[in-house]
Amino acid sequence: MDSSEHAIYRAAIQGDRDAFEIVIRSVSRNLFAIAYGILQNREEAEDVVQDTLVKAWKSRWRVRDSDKLPAWLSSVARHRARDLARKRRPEPLPEAFEADEVVEFESAGQKADLDGEVRSALAQLPELHRVALTLRYFEELDYGTIEKTLGLTNGALRGILGRALGLMRKRLKPALASTG
Amino acid sequence: MATTHEQIDEMLAADLHDELTATERVEFHAHLVECAECRQAFQEGKNMNRILNEIMADKRADAGFEQRMVSRFRDRVPKRAGLIGLVTDLLRVRAVQLTAAAAILLALAQMGRMITGESASPKLRDEDSATMLENASGVDKAGATRDAGVFAKTDDRLKALSPVTQNAPPPSPPLDAVTSTVPKPRTEMVAGLTKTKKSEFKDEKAPASAAETTAETPAEPSASPSSVGPTANRKLIRNATAELEVASFDDSIQKVTAFASEEKGYVATTSSEKQENGKLRGEIVVKVLPDNLDRFLGKLRGIGDLKNQALTTEDVTKAYFDTESRLKNARLMEQRLIEILKTKSKDVADLLEVEKELGRVREQIETMQGELKFMDSQVAFATVTITLAEKNMNIPAAFLLKEKAQLSLYATEVEKTYNEIKALASPKVQITNAQIDRDNTGRVSARLSLLLAPEESEAVIARIKGMARVENFQVQTDRVSQGGDGLGENAKTERDKVELNITLSRDEQEIALQQTSLRIQTPEVNDKAKQLRAIAEQQNGRIRSSSFSRDTNGREYANVSLRVPMKNYNALIQSLNGLGNVENVSVRRDDRPDSQVDEANAPADVSIQVYSQGNIVSEETGIWATLRRTIGQGAAALMWSVRMIGVAVAFLAPWALIIGAVGWVARRVSRARTARKQAADQEAGRS
Repeated sequence: MDSSEHAIYRAAIQGDRDAFEIVIRSVSRNLFAIAYGILQNREEAEDVVQDTLVKAWKSRWRVRDSDKLPAWLSSVARHRARDLARKRRPEPLPEAFEADEVVEFESAGQKADLDGEVRSALAQLPELHRVALTLRYFEELDYGTIEKTLGLTNGALRGILGRALGLMRKRLKPALASTG
Repeated sequence: MATTHEQIDEMLAADLHDELTATERVEFHAHLVECAECRQAFQEGKNMNRILNEIMADKRADAGFEQRMVSRFRDRVPKRAGLIGLVTDLLRVRAVQLTAAAAILLALAQMGRMITGESASPKLRDEDSATMLENASGVDKAGATRDAGVFAKTDDRLKALSPVTQNAPPPSPPLDAVTSTVPKPRTEMVAGLTKTKKSEFKDEKAPASAAETTAETPAEPSASPSSVGPTANRKLIRNATAELEVASFDDSIQKVTAFASEEKGYVATTSSEKQENGKLRGEIVVKVLPDNLDRFLGKLRGIGDLKNQALTTEDVTKAYFDTESRLKNARLMEQRLIEILKTKSKDVADLLEVEKELGRVREQIETMQGELKFMDSQVAFATVTITLAEKNMNIPAAFLLKEKAQLSLYATEVEKTYNEIKALASPKVQITNAQIDRDNTGRVSARLSLLLAPEESEAVIARIKGMARVENFQVQTDRVSQGGDGLGENAKTERDKVELNITLSRDEQEIALQQTSLRIQTPEVNDKAKQLRAIAEQQNGRIRSSSFSRDTNGREYANVSLRVPMKNYNALIQSLNGLGNVENVSVRRDDRPDSQVDEANAPADVSIQVYSQGNIVSEETGIWATLRRTIGQGAAALMWSVRMIGVAVAFLAPWALIIGAVGWVARRVSRARTARKQAADQEAGRS
């Protein structure tokens, strides 16, 4: 992080709206990716980003280390998205069943439905894995930036993404093999 | 490559995402060549990567996303304007929060102090600080005598306190000079010398300086006479004071002198003065042997009435022996210095220094000897201070008669009378003060003070009395005795000038001797009122006020109040009967037995209401009156409740504010804590 970024974060925390808008521009895509990763719904994700920004502005004084502002924003967005997911889908089980059904159904079906399979496999991943994947595929961020955004320790992301892709690969093995 | 194989998922993902280092990539691809299983995985992974990229591509945020976020943010968080924004922003800064909390706490503490009436800053007790100062200077002093070069800087205070430092030579060469003359191995370094010398001096001078302080103690009793008896080695200073009333001062002094010599004592001092009343009053200080003190006091009672007596004993034993031992030390010091002077005389400067020191020590010795001698004298004799006063048997030489007269007058025209009195001024009638006051309601009053020659006074007073009506006259005569040793019955009496104070006020202000009110009912109010005025005129009365009114029911009222001299009162009342139906007569009379009242001319007030018949119904009945009363009471109740609410608010609001503030802070803190905890949990869960 260079010093200008640092200064901007600090100014934003101290209530400089212009600085905060710069921060919005730089992080909102990532936040969207995170929210989408959790919610799998664009409208909801956008709302979450919006709420996150407003809420973050109002409680920005809680950030003590201004360098961690992006990570903090991410965690706020994750909490909000998770809350929303919990609220809108109080029972995650039926979806899982549905997803399984789809997988089974489609594994027997055409290749064109591979997208759907991938999506449902995605939905069954743990949240953190899903968020990391989304960040990677939406914004094509390098591992270092993703780790920083999600507040992960150095090198943890490689394991997470590896596991995520591995899980999906195993789940989708038949389909992938045939496509190959 | 076992590790690569085991970590195939990880390596695969990193390779697809271009996050492998060069070496890792080489290793990874080498492994793929070797391992079919991993090759298969690699193929699948590549496929999935492509599919994911395709799927995600149309889900990611569109181009205008950031702008949308910013503008919506602007909509949802309007800029706070001006001061409020500034303050709220400021309050978010932790330092400001802490400062504000501290300020509030301080303010509360201050308020508490104000309520309990403590002083804001802890007060250092004067005595304490004084003592501390004393101690400090004591230390300083010791240091001064010990340390080289400090001779020069004894401060004034110390000089006053100690004869020793006082006499120290102001410009002083360093003590090293003295030091070098001290019998010590010459090989020692100067510093070492100084040190040892210092410690030597300490022994001798510390007590010396202490002696100076105690020197003050024995000095004190010298102010109040005292005597000490050799009561088993104790050094006691005994003092007694006695106050006596005697018939003759001179006789008493003789008696006291006789008693004193009987008890092996003597009269130290006597003093006397003649008082205003011719009596003598004086003081005798007698010294007697302490053992005989009680007997002496017993005898003293015989010479007059003992009015009070006090006996005090002060134990100076400690101070005495302290001084004595210090004296011993000082003498030793003197001896040593003399020795030095004799044997070690080398350098002239050194010699001078030793000489000076010797002088100082000798002075000290003398002072202490003086103290001891003084204490001895105090102890040897008890001091009795006797105050003698002659009894009051005074006969005045002459009497002076002082007359003071007070005269209060009522005049119709105050100013005219005032001027008439002023015109009386002559050598025998001095006007010392004259003033006339007019207040804002137009009432006039005047005050005069006169000094009258005694022979003229009665005539003048009589004349003044004739100018107006006397309300009150008082004379007070004081017989003042003059001179002391008098001639008894033969004392002549003189009359002094008569002081006369006059107050003049308009007669209208006079309170009427008799007040009458009555009502006359008649159909023609206006006519009767006019007749009433005529009657008043006849009877030498004056109309003081009159009014006429007619109410909505057509009833007419005429109110007339008038004042007549008492002698005409009855005639007036008689003639009123002719006007109509007199009713509701009430009479009140103020009897003033203590003042000389000119009854015939004293005023009587009559207030008359002439009214026409009407249907007189009380206003306080009927539906309207009730309604009005109810509304009035309701309004009063409402006002009262508003006031009570105000009081309640004043009572509760500060507490509500404080509780609210505390709650707000607590909520903030707990929220911050949970947020931190959640973050930590997450971190833990993730890793």
